[in-house]
Amino acid sequence: MTQVPAASTSDHICWVYDEDDASFDRTVRRFLAGGLERDERLLVVGERVIASLGSAGDGIGDAAALIAAGALRTLTMAEAYEEAGEVVSGTQRTFYDAATRTALADGYSGLRVVTEVSPLAEDAGTRATLVEWEHLADEYAAEGSGFTAMCAYPSRLSAQALADVATVHPLVHADAVPPFQVFFDDDRLALTGSVDTFSAERLARVLASSPVGDDGAVLDLGQVEFVDIAASRVIARWAQDLEARSLPLEVRGASPLLQRMWQVLGLTQVAPVAFTRAGA
Amino acid sequence: MTATLTGPAEAFDHEALFYRDEEDFLAGLLPFVREGLEFDEAVVVVEPRARLDLLRDALGDDASAVDLRDMAEVGRNPGRIIGVWDRLLGEHTAAGRRLRGVGEPAFAGRRESEYFECRLHELLLNHAFDGGAPWRLLCPYDETRLPRAVVRAALHNHPTAGTSAGRRPSPDYAPGEVAELFAAPLPAPGEAVLRGTYGPADVPATRRTVAQYARRIGLPEDKVEVLELAASELATNSVQHGGGSGTVAMWTTPSAAIVEFHDAGRLTEPLTGRLMPALDQEGGRGIFLVNQLCDLVQLRSSDEGTTIRITTWL
Repeated sequence: MTQVPAASTSDHICWVYDEDDASFDRTVRRFLAGGLERDERLLVVGERVIASLGSAGDGIGDAAALIAAGALRTLTMAEAYEEAGEVVSGTQRTFYDAATRTALADGYSGLRVVTEVSPLAEDAGTRATLVEWEHLADEYAAEGSGFTAMCAYPSRLSAQALADVATVHPLVHADAVPPFQVFFDDDRLALTGSVDTFSAERLARVLASSPVGDDGAVLDLGQVEFVDIAASRVIARWAQDLEARSLPLEVRGASPLLQRMWQVLGLTQVAPVAFTRAGA
Repeated sequence: MTATLTGPAEAFDHEALFYRDEEDFLAGLLPFVREGLEFDEAVVVVEPRARLDLLRDALGDDASAVDLRDMAEVGRNPGRIIGVWDRLLGEHTAAGRRLRGVGEPAFAGRRESEYFECRLHELLLNHAFDGGAPWRLLCPYDETRLPRAVVRAALHNHPTAGTSAGRRPSPDYAPGEVAELFAAPLPAPGEAVLRGTYGPADVPATRRTVAQYARRIGLPEDKVEVLELAASELATNSVQHGGGSGTVAMWTTPSAAIVEFHDAGRLTEPLTGRLMPALDQEGGRGIFLVNQLCDLVQLRSSDEGTTIRITTWL
């Protein structure tokens, strides 16, 4: 695995790591050190990442001193979910929102979080909620709230689990990138990569859980590599669901072929979508 | 022989009209169109552009009451035409008007593979509309310029045949030929063929391979994208309904790029992919979409499996 790139403010990175302790510890500390350079408060969630702090030096100095100074906080998974509530995306967001605001109020430039909560990703039941929360966290990071996060998942998880969690991150550092990604870019929801019959259901789940404001949603397809009929129908069904809630859907940057497919399949009649050009 | 004037249809009335020249074309067509207008029927004429111009001039003021469409567009791939008539029939019948159509899919100047698909299309019209809402469809055939085999085949696939002088039941009408044609193998490629197999995990690789091939032989990007989408849909069909795997073959002739998919599945309905799928229907859209987007689509199915050949004209 090549080096995980340094994070800028408001990044949301999915890092799929191999079981190499030295490299894992180094990457966690380098990510945290980047936060210290930017005067961000650090939050480390999960036993595996907390263990990385105990190792020698390498960028972040004395963890105990940072904790004493209030610049670093650690939460085991049990502590995190006692404090932030069960993995219900809304309560998680409230917790991280409060933590980010407090960091800003305390004079930090933001909150930088590194998490390793792979037990939640292993279980198919909790994974669905975890993915919902990751998607919401992505929106929160993209808002420019000052929240930056790296979510570490071990490569030993099933391909399905890894694809589920990686899909909702704008930045994915892994040997096997998921076929598509859905993430927030300013106020737009961006879809990149390829969605076909075999991955359309995953797209349906992400869209169904996607936060949509009162003005409706903008889905940006400008960077999509490929979508098939099944994927188009998933987007059409989302448009129908939004319409039922009186929320409009704008689809930006769709290729001429995709728009022709919508027309040919009669999706224009059932799914109220405003197609607009890229960069509109 | 009875007169050309026919009255409103009581069932699906599918007639071949053989004409020798422009004058004869108008002599056969004008009474048919004018009668439709007299009965306040919805008259739709789908002809190549030159024939449309001829008819428009001859109809004079009446032309504005006729829905004139270019067969070179509507029927570029003959596999699209039944879907168009089906939609028109549904719309006009629902509005309380009878439909009267003129369609010349096998117009002079088409390629051999297109004439072959026109023959299957004409047979399938009977299969699609017999027993349904009553309407009339007149199919002109240019007996001077068309290959003899095309003219002869029209006697097999129309229950009624005639000229400007009159019409009568076609003694050679053979609706059973549809099963035979639908099961018959397509002509083997005469050129060097690139062939590959795909399984459940190979759909993305298959569409990328087809796109690469299309790019390499110089197809414009919009046609590359269409073939990529077609490849994804048809390989997905093989994986989901055609036994889980299939083969893709690609070759180029002096006039066309051809991509062909084959799997072990069996389609029993020869109209597959020709009618617009209901909006709430789950599957069944792949071949319909490919029919709408591609230049020529040839579907065959038998105990030997299902083959879909997509031709892109160069």
